[in-house]
Amino acid sequence: MVAFIDVELTGAAGAIAPRRRRARSIAAKLGGGLAVLIPVVVLSSFITYCLGALSNSNPAATILGQDAATPAAVAKLDRALGLDKPLVVQYWDWFTQAVQGHLGVSYFTQIPVSQSIAQRLPVDLSIALLAVVLAVLIGGTAGTVAAVKRGSWFDRGVTIACSVVSTLPAFVVGIILVVLFAVSAHLLPASGYTPPSAGIGPWLEHIILPALALALQVAADIARQLRTSLVSVLDQNYIVGARVRGLPYRRVLVRHALRNASGPALTILGNDFPIMLAGAVAAEVVFSLPGLGQLLLAAAEERDIPVVQGVLLVVATFVIVVNLVVNTLLAWLNRSADGVSA
Amino acid sequence: MSRRALIGQRSWLRLPSARIALVILAVVIFLSVFGSALAPQNPLTINANALFQGPSLHHLLGTDYLGRDVLSRLMAGTRLSVLTAFEAVGIGLVLGAPLGVAAVFLGRWFDFAVNRVSDALMTLPYIFFAVAVTAALGNGLVQAMSAVGILLAPGFFRVTRAATLEFASAQYVEAAELLGATKLHVIRVHVVRKVLPTIAVTTAMAAAGALLAVSFFTFLGIGVTPPAPTWGGVLSSDLDYLSQAPWAPFIPGALIAITVGALNALADAFRDRIGPGALPALDPVIKTHSTLTQSDREATDVRQTAA
Repeated sequence: MVAFIDVELTGAAGAIAPRRRRARSIAAKLGGGLAVLIPVVVLSSFITYCLGALSNSNPAATILGQDAATPAAVAKLDRALGLDKPLVVQYWDWFTQAVQGHLGVSYFTQIPVSQSIAQRLPVDLSIALLAVVLAVLIGGTAGTVAAVKRGSWFDRGVTIACSVVSTLPAFVVGIILVVLFAVSAHLLPASGYTPPSAGIGPWLEHIILPALALALQVAADIARQLRTSLVSVLDQNYIVGARVRGLPYRRVLVRHALRNASGPALTILGNDFPIMLAGAVAAEVVFSLPGLGQLLLAAAEERDIPVVQGVLLVVATFVIVVNLVVNTLLAWLNRSADGVSA
Repeated sequence: MSRRALIGQRSWLRLPSARIALVILAVVIFLSVFGSALAPQNPLTINANALFQGPSLHHLLGTDYLGRDVLSRLMAGTRLSVLTAFEAVGIGLVLGAPLGVAAVFLGRWFDFAVNRVSDALMTLPYIFFAVAVTAALGNGLVQAMSAVGILLAPGFFRVTRAATLEFASAQYVEAAELLGATKLHVIRVHVVRKVLPTIAVTTAMAAAGALLAVSFFTFLGIGVTPPAPTWGGVLSSDLDYLSQAPWAPFIPGALIAITVGALNALADAFRDRIGPGALPALDPVIKTHSTLTQSDREATDVRQTAA
């Protein structure tokens, strides 16, 4: 299908203006992307749903409790919950409801799953967003400086630091940060969360350490990747050409080199995002934050299947959305190359 | 035969980092077999007179909040971590690598389908997936790590597929096919042997990831019954008593970091050995843009050559 659109595009390309052709090329790729995306969304949500259905626990019996779980009562509740239908039908009902924002209700507390997720999501979002910002800032700066000052002590220092950091899981980094900044120095709070509505200062104070714990590993990955690709871009003829034409080095570095070198680093960011979410769960435990991970762990323990399914679906959706953003940015970075080749 | 000739000029063992890594891994594997037998003290013995002790001759790595010997607990906990990490890597390898070869040779639809399943699995963060699996299949480290294994499979699949694509379009494969070689012969002789080094790198990296995952699970207490000693468990009990013993988490933390670092160093050594460019470029998680069209084009090329 993708190939078909491409062929059609090339055929029409001669007649239309380059700018419009470029826009069409991006649109066609997005369309082709949807053909890939829809199966991925359906498959990952189906896997999510099946995990719940695979559960060998009998939800109706669990809800009713040992005494009230007569076969008749179980069958009645199964019908009320829709558990007597075929798996695919159950999945479709759940999926169409989920798309509209209804993830069902918890078996035990009767609280709507979307409500408990909405309550906890801001915690993880705050940490994850700040972590992405920190990772890009730290990793981007370290990688760029290391590539520009290739072979210097700074470059070697970055390489060593990256190798060390990449062996440390987020929860170990988190504990080290707690020991350094909260237990020994009393600079920052060791645990808890305040919403941003209570003030930006306290909010930042509570999320900066967990965010840093998540960010370090990703920052190391970004720095390493950016250094490698920037070193190879800086050796290209067009960089030499731009400098020979007398463009200021800073401008060459930012507009010519970094733009072309940042693709692989962006890909790393997309690939590392699921790892960051795992790190967020670790950070929740280390810093006792009331986040999605805590909700999931508690729900898994008592086999509250709708909650487990809901959390997994929301998390998978975030990964997909982040990767779409990354892909769109990649397409935008490569836009000039596409315009020429298509 | 001289030692140099034995190791070989181009061998990955030439690198000192690889040799150090191998020694560390050998020690870890030795501990996983004999650790609980060699532990100087019973890892479960509680000693109320020796809480939060620093390293000393009697307790080489100190004691924890119940006065238990930390060194013994870490030694006895090695087996569980190593075995379950092996389990996850094994599942990932067995599921991912053969499918990666098959996707290239079994036609476009098969390729598309397996690719989308692999993409879908890559959207599920391992900790959330593993916890959901333990909710469904029962709370055990074996279940949780089998979930990690399933999520490692897409990594093996992608790397194997990309490497297979590259070798399957090589001229000597074309020549072999012209000479009448069967697909099976081509796969066995020309593809698998060339893909193996790439898989070795991925295996070492996956093992590092699996080890991180297993220490995180034991840290969270997934699939562990409390008094049983584990690497992550030692860490999580230290976390509750940071004000009494702020140095304590560094010991299990360092153990995890050194083992993971050794596996990473081994992966780097393998990678240097097979040279740059032998590993395929990094793909985005969901391939919606140029990466998809490009690899699809490559796949079509290979099939046209094969046909």
